[in-house]
Amino acid sequence: MDSTNLSSLPEESLEQEQEQQQTPPKPQDSQKKPLPSAFASVPVRPPTQSSLQKYSPLDWSGYFDEEKDVSIPDSNDVFHVYMAGTEGAVVFCLHGGGYSGLSFALSASKIKEKARVVAMDMRGHGKSSTENDLDLSIETMCNDVFAVVKAMYGDSPPAIVLVGHSMGGSVAVHVAAKKTLRSLAGLVVVDVVEGTAMASLIHMQKILSSRMQHFSSIEKAIEWSVKGGSLRNIDSARISIPSTLMFDESKNCYVYRSRLEETEQYWKGWYEGLSDKFLSCPVPKLLLLAGTDRLDRSLTIGQMQGKFQMVVVRHTGHAIQEDSPDEFATLILNFISRNRIGPHGVEIPGLRRPLHSQS
Amino acid sequence: MPSHGDLDRQIAHLMECKPLAEAEVKTLCDQARAILVEEWNVQPVKCPVTVCGDIHGQFYDLIELFRIGGNAPDTNYLFMGDYVDRGYYSVETVTLLVALKVRYRDRITILRGNHESRQITQVYGFYDECLRKYGNANVWKYFTDLFDYLPLTALIESQIFCLHGGLSPSLDTLDNIRALDRIQEVPHEGPMCDLLWSDPDDRCGWGISPRGAGYTFGQDIATQFNHTNGLTLISRAHQLVMEGYNWCQEKNVVTVFSAPNYCYRCGNMAAILEIGENMDQNFLQFDPAPRQIEPDTTRKTPDYFL
Repeated sequence: MDSTNLSSLPEESLEQEQEQQQTPPKPQDSQKKPLPSAFASVPVRPPTQSSLQKYSPLDWSGYFDEEKDVSIPDSNDVFHVYMAGTEGAVVFCLHGGGYSGLSFALSASKIKEKARVVAMDMRGHGKSSTENDLDLSIETMCNDVFAVVKAMYGDSPPAIVLVGHSMGGSVAVHVAAKKTLRSLAGLVVVDVVEGTAMASLIHMQKILSSRMQHFSSIEKAIEWSVKGGSLRNIDSARISIPSTLMFDESKNCYVYRSRLEETEQYWKGWYEGLSDKFLSCPVPKLLLLAGTDRLDRSLTIGQMQGKFQMVVVRHTGHAIQEDSPDEFATLILNFISRNRIGPHGVEIPGLRRPLHSQS
Repeated sequence: MPSHGDLDRQIAHLMECKPLAEAEVKTLCDQARAILVEEWNVQPVKCPVTVCGDIHGQFYDLIELFRIGGNAPDTNYLFMGDYVDRGYYSVETVTLLVALKVRYRDRITILRGNHESRQITQVYGFYDECLRKYGNANVWKYFTDLFDYLPLTALIESQIFCLHGGLSPSLDTLDNIRALDRIQEVPHEGPMCDLLWSDPDDRCGWGISPRGAGYTFGQDIATQFNHTNGLTLISRAHQLVMEGYNWCQEKNVVTVFSAPNYCYRCGNMAAILEIGENMDQNFLQFDPAPRQIEPDTTRKTPDYFL
């Protein structure tokens, strides 16, 4: 599966030509709004493509139904959200550090058949703009989620299933553990566990700095994300990667929109105590992992006491929702239906007597 | 009466934590299947017997269990499932238990746990361990094919009902369980799945299990089940309990967990439950076996938030 991505790139010059045709004009205010809806001009391509178009960006509109900016009252914070679906509970998605709401685009297009999906660009990410994009403290990001939910739904939000990937998983757990979101009906955490996350923090600056930093084109960034191994699904990379970039006028190239390396002071706060907080959340819980050996002591005990559902998704990288969007969507929908989460909450609370099905 | 020489040699070999050759495993599984197919969904067991919970490939702790509880066949044993996955020696553990079953069929009973399944073992280690130790998946296939024949539950002297998980809303009586067609992979839902996945709970009635399979059942359910079926106790495993055993639901249910320091990280004690000749109950707790350094499992640091 990976090997197909490692083949050499033919027709380099042709591809560059194509880039020039497709790359939108550089926006003047790229510092603030790195990627306005210029991609709307790029048509969604049919599934079969020539290798030339392999890494061309895809627009969100083929996967979400709507995008909008949610302004937070009494502040200058504006959060960008993508929405899909018309019925059922709201699957509220929080992306990982350096990603964007479009990380959930492919899975949203499946989930929306039976539930509503909202994926927000978190502070300092995607098309959201805030007074302090570098304040990625866990408290601030939790407050952002509460503020967006309140701005969107007022005081009577529908049933919400919080889904968080990596850093967003930590935010989802902290939001759920505060127990103030009364309509919260489920919690899904995607590939983040306190023990392994804390252990990996010391490597993070190195991992961040060893990323390729400058891209001559968006296509190059998409290509790098797939070939470098951070994403394994080209289609998802074509949708999600553009929103993680911004054009740097001074360097005349694309760079990462999120300045993660400047947020180190907050990282520990994302993960410290995460396992116990997760276990303390009083709603049905699903932990999706890309590998089994990531459970720490608390979670191993919790899992072995049957306190949450754990699914190990095979043949996927860290971004499960991007690498295996169909399986991810099925897991989310099964979790919702098994726990009987309807638009107004759990439909038959806790109890049921199924039909006698003796075989 | 066939000679037990080969089998005794194999058991001695296994007791040293050495796996059998692939062909030997095949023969052993064939013999075991012939025995297990004759057993019942609710397999009758006589006292005295020692009841054990999850083992999960922790071979040296199983040896410690035999040291504490007595060697087979001097002690009769009833194991309530989950022999494989998670620990480093699933192959040696399950091979030893199956060999003991074949050698002493009336003195050891092995039930099915939710990990005795093709699907679960592919995720939690047994499959990979077979590949690593044999270079192919044949041994995994022999065992998982055999697992389909394991009895689901056991009944000690018509009084103590033993199983891996718990009750099912589809099964009111032992006769309901006897009527199940168990020779199959563990289904994702339904009564057979429930027996291997359900947990007791503080809340009354049936609940949706947080595990994603099976149900939770309250004290009212367990009391009713025991009353209906003339039972004194439901003995089950499946859940880690820090002391190795745990009474719940007004002593209608007991949990027994026999993998100390589960997964080499949980810090729990293990326990086994001795049922004496007069049905008297005695718990024996034990700590992890002193052992050499665990095999090195390199953990790759995940690229979190990238």
